[in-house]
Amino acid sequence: MAVPVIMPRQGQSVETCIIGEWYKKKGDEVKVGDILFSYETDKASFEEEAKEEGILLEVFFEEGDEVPVLVNVAVIGAAGESIDEFKPGGGDDVQQADVAAQEEIVVETEVKEETVVVREANSDERLKISPRAKNTAEKLGVDYQKVTGTGPEGRIIERDVEAAAKVLPRVTPLAKEIAKEEDLQTVTTGTGMGGRVTSADLVTTNQVYGDDFEIKKLPNIRKLIAKAMHSSLQNSAQLTHHMGADARNIMALRKSFKKKLEEGTISQNITINDLVCFAVIKALKNFPQVNSHFLGDSVKYFNKVHLGLAVDTDRGLMVPAVRNADDLSIEGLASQMKTVAEQCRKGSVNPELLNPEAASFTVSNLGNYGVEMFTPVINLPQSAILGVCTIVPRPTDLGGGVYGFAPFMGLSLTYDHRSLDGGEATLFLAEIRKQIENLSF
Amino acid sequence: MPKVQFIDPTEVRKAGQIDLKPIPVNQYQKSVADEKDNYSKEELMGIYHDMVVIREFETMLNLIKTTGEYQGIAYNHPGPAHLSIGQEAAAVGMAYTLDVDDYIFGSHRSHGEILAKGLSAIKKLSDEQLTEIMDTHFDGATAAPVKKDHKGSVRELAIKFLLYGTLAEIFARETGFNKGLGGSMHAFFTPFGVYPNNAIVGGSGDIAVGAALYKKVNKKDGIVVANIGDASMACGPVWEGLSFAAMDQFEQLWEGAMKGGLPVVFNIMNNQYGMGGQTCGETMGYNVAARIGAGVNDDQMHAERVDGYNPLAVIDAYKRKRELLAQGKGPVLLDVLTYRYSGHSPSDASSYRSKEEVEAWEANDSIAWFGAELEKTGIATAEELEQIKSATAELMAYTMTLSIDDKVSPHMDVEKHPELLGDMMFSNESVDKMEDREPEVNHPYEENPRVKQLAKKERFMFNGDGKPFSKIKMYAYRDAIFEAIADRFYKDPTLVAYGEENRDWGGAFAVYRGLTEALPYHRLFNSPISEASIIGTAIGYAMCGGRVIPEIMYCDFLGRCGDEVFNQLPKWQAMSGNVIKMPVVIRVSVGSKYGAQHSQDWTSLCAHIPGLKVVFPSTPYDAKGLMNTALQGTDPVIFFESQRLYDMGEQFHKEGVPEGYYEIPMGEPDVKREGKDVTILTIGATLYRALEAADELEEKYGMSAEVIDARTLVPFNYEEVIESVKKTGRLVLSSDASARGSYLNDIARNITEMAFDYLDAPPVVVGSRNWITPAFELEEYFFPQKEWIIDAIHEKIVPLKGHVVKNNFTKNEQIRRNKLGV
Repeated sequence: MAVPVIMPRQGQSVETCIIGEWYKKKGDEVKVGDILFSYETDKASFEEEAKEEGILLEVFFEEGDEVPVLVNVAVIGAAGESIDEFKPGGGDDVQQADVAAQEEIVVETEVKEETVVVREANSDERLKISPRAKNTAEKLGVDYQKVTGTGPEGRIIERDVEAAAKVLPRVTPLAKEIAKEEDLQTVTTGTGMGGRVTSADLVTTNQVYGDDFEIKKLPNIRKLIAKAMHSSLQNSAQLTHHMGADARNIMALRKSFKKKLEEGTISQNITINDLVCFAVIKALKNFPQVNSHFLGDSVKYFNKVHLGLAVDTDRGLMVPAVRNADDLSIEGLASQMKTVAEQCRKGSVNPELLNPEAASFTVSNLGNYGVEMFTPVINLPQSAILGVCTIVPRPTDLGGGVYGFAPFMGLSLTYDHRSLDGGEATLFLAEIRKQIENLSF
Repeated sequence: MPKVQFIDPTEVRKAGQIDLKPIPVNQYQKSVADEKDNYSKEELMGIYHDMVVIREFETMLNLIKTTGEYQGIAYNHPGPAHLSIGQEAAAVGMAYTLDVDDYIFGSHRSHGEILAKGLSAIKKLSDEQLTEIMDTHFDGATAAPVKKDHKGSVRELAIKFLLYGTLAEIFARETGFNKGLGGSMHAFFTPFGVYPNNAIVGGSGDIAVGAALYKKVNKKDGIVVANIGDASMACGPVWEGLSFAAMDQFEQLWEGAMKGGLPVVFNIMNNQYGMGGQTCGETMGYNVAARIGAGVNDDQMHAERVDGYNPLAVIDAYKRKRELLAQGKGPVLLDVLTYRYSGHSPSDASSYRSKEEVEAWEANDSIAWFGAELEKTGIATAEELEQIKSATAELMAYTMTLSIDDKVSPHMDVEKHPELLGDMMFSNESVDKMEDREPEVNHPYEENPRVKQLAKKERFMFNGDGKPFSKIKMYAYRDAIFEAIADRFYKDPTLVAYGEENRDWGGAFAVYRGLTEALPYHRLFNSPISEASIIGTAIGYAMCGGRVIPEIMYCDFLGRCGDEVFNQLPKWQAMSGNVIKMPVVIRVSVGSKYGAQHSQDWTSLCAHIPGLKVVFPSTPYDAKGLMNTALQGTDPVIFFESQRLYDMGEQFHKEGVPEGYYEIPMGEPDVKREGKDVTILTIGATLYRALEAADELEEKYGMSAEVIDARTLVPFNYEEVIESVKKTGRLVLSSDASARGSYLNDIARNITEMAFDYLDAPPVVVGSRNWITPAFELEEYFFPQKEWIIDAIHEKIVPLKGHVVKNNFTKNEQIRRNKLGV
């Protein structure tokens, strides 16, 4: 009995997912647990495992297709079994389910079905083309000699050129001339304006050594990060204050927790980062104006602390939220932060938690990598983000006129000046330092 | 129409007869001897002098035309010269008694009248007044050539000025009275009371009546003389002018100071020929032209025939008729018998008359006779008379020398100033009121019943839910026009409006309802059903300085005033060298439902004629704003209205039609709906069918149409349409005018030229068929419909997927129809 593989639903707000990569192809044998394909939402990337054993009888979507959730993506079953009943909505429903998503496909179908775009070159008939169509052809680099007109009396009108531009190579006049002179081949998609093939494209495709670079399409998550980061810097007034906190206390705490773990009195490893976050949560409770979202004409103050945690993954940066972090003990906090970070790396995190609006404040720790100072970028609409830096020894007044080196942890607070003033931000940063220096359990 | 006049059947059905009073013919038979106690020597010598001046002036032109020289001075005058040699006594007698404030209008043969009236005015004006007139006309440019080296009196200078200004005008010199733009047949000089002469036979027959109307309505001194020829008495517009001038209402309905007839004299310069047609005996049937008066009104227009070969007889007649006019007993008809020795024009070989006839009249020559009378009575010696003649000849040679000198009297330099003439076509002024005084109205504006009613109306068509208000509640197109006009009646005291059924009825389409209550008779009245007189009088009214709204009830009636609308109204501003303004707004209602002679859109005819502004609003907001602009201006405007739209509310201007005053500049088309795939440009009521087509294009074919309302045909700013076409690449033009020769073709051609590279198809004109307009029941086959627009797009611009045409817009059909001329 054949069974369908559906596009899983990821969170309440996700309507469609994009297929990333197929690890199995049609006809392959699959076992339960085999990874079939990867897919992405606008927040994260996931992998779908086979839940049945059998042969991958059919694959309905290709890599890069946007597929509505709960729609059949593939069929697993025994060889020879019919897959007809699993075809997604007979084909049409998919298009109707999300016309926008299928726009590209629809257009291409139209071109293929309704317009014979390329005409025979042997026609003796005088070519008829409207001035506008001619101009558009020039602009799009379409060779209108090859276009069939659908206007009155077979006149090539603008829509014909536009349709042709989608299927015919578009070549700049210069490239056309060079290609002709030097008998070079044109490529389908060029690097010029509107994807036109320029003279440069001709040269590179014909070099002995081939390309010295490779252009890869951005994965969805990369696009999202790019957009979010750019948007953050474009749309807020960010600046960063740096301060150092005496790390002797926190290092001592770390040491004692490590000892307790070894002794087995606690089961959770407590890292420096966990301790810093714990201190930050305490500081936030004293500075509710920082534990906030700036909404343009209003500010949203949170009663609870939802701590965002910047996690570096293979797919890119992810910032999952630990909800109600102020309710957690140090062990609870450490445990949840660890879990959520691992889910991110595995791609199984709940996409809802990746929403920047899910966290009220974010901590980004680059201390492990030896970064001494940086300017983290705020996850808007949050009002601020704390960057935690590496610990370096620094001369310190040890009291009684004695100076010595003490370990100091760098703290970089980026805040949205629209939401917070410099004084508030400085006081908050000082509060974090105070909490770190005086943290006790 | 008026209820106060009861048509009693028992009265009008009674048996009886019309008794005509005897019509005097040449009753005045006095000579100089009989009148010498009544005239001073100076006066009698003046009459002689003026006749001699005219004779010499015309003789000079005759010689120039026939021999190419005068007194040995060579000149080629290629233009016209319709001479009045032989008619001098009639002209001088006519002008002798006239004051400067009395206006004369003339014909193509009016050189003599210009000089006679000019010389008469010069005698009556003081040196200071003359100097001012000469110094201010075109800033002294006309006077400058004669002023230079002038020795002698101001009066002598003024005579040189008159001769020079007239001759330079005839020779098309920029220093002429009208910058050379009027020429021989149209020359005039208003400061001397000489109003436009008219190259169209009988052209002054209605225009002069309008001047008289102006004098009466605005309480101006003076009378008006229409110098028209005997042959013009067959012209419709002359009869219309007579009928208009003789309306009973002046005596029976106009009140107070306004009671009484128009101060106008129809002066028939009866030279007994109309070109080569002999009026008495061949082309007319009146025998004696004075007979006509008997057919016009009870007073028989006080008509009589006067011997125009005796200047004293004409003077006598004018003295008597002037008294009648002063008593409000106009109009007057004078049949001034005269004769021209010269042909119709110098090219006329006089094949239609015998040599004996001409010689017989020459034997009766008025100048020779009058001179002999002066000698006989001892008033002048032969030497004195000869002296006048030789001095005149000398003066004429001097005037000619100056007039043909290209340095002193250049032609307009159109090469150096290519737009000189273009700049004169319109005066483009913005004037609240043509005269500063209190307008005569019956009650304050706010108390007007219509105004009060309008205050309660909804000035936007739809309520908050997008539903239209009921017709009763809705402020409509007709209300918008009313508001603009009513407003101007309270601003401009010179404004008058008239036409058929304008008073009491409020106009056939109720635009003027409420104005009857607001205005005294002389500001709003019913005209005869006589379109030539309606427009002709309006032209005369405006020439004198008044603002006027004549109404043509149906567009189809424009033909009835073809000469007035196409030949007179558009020309006079430029032909006067911009001396005259023409603030005439003709309201023209475009009909439907009433068949072939009541449903035509003739906007294209008007747009074709240079010198007219042509507007055709299709929404209340545009109608009010454009009417305000038209009435604020000083140019002739043909203001088209649509009978399909009088009930239409405002559906585009969301704030509704403003209650206050606002203007919409003429010439700016308006985007009524934005779109990106095709542009539909409409004129007039077709707008609403285009919007329906746009709806269907959107719904059925996903095509978004941009709909532009031209609003104005002339002037027209193409920029907005070009921008739209750049965007859409496609243009359909539609109006209710028959497609052949439609103004839309002009727009289409211009757009093709100016936006060729942006066009995805040639612009397509969807006009009415080249048929008679059929009955209402068949109109959908004649006027452009929404389906036509869509079919035309499908067939000629961009095939629409799945569209099935109902109308044949193919090339073959286009060829077939044109072959057949339908």
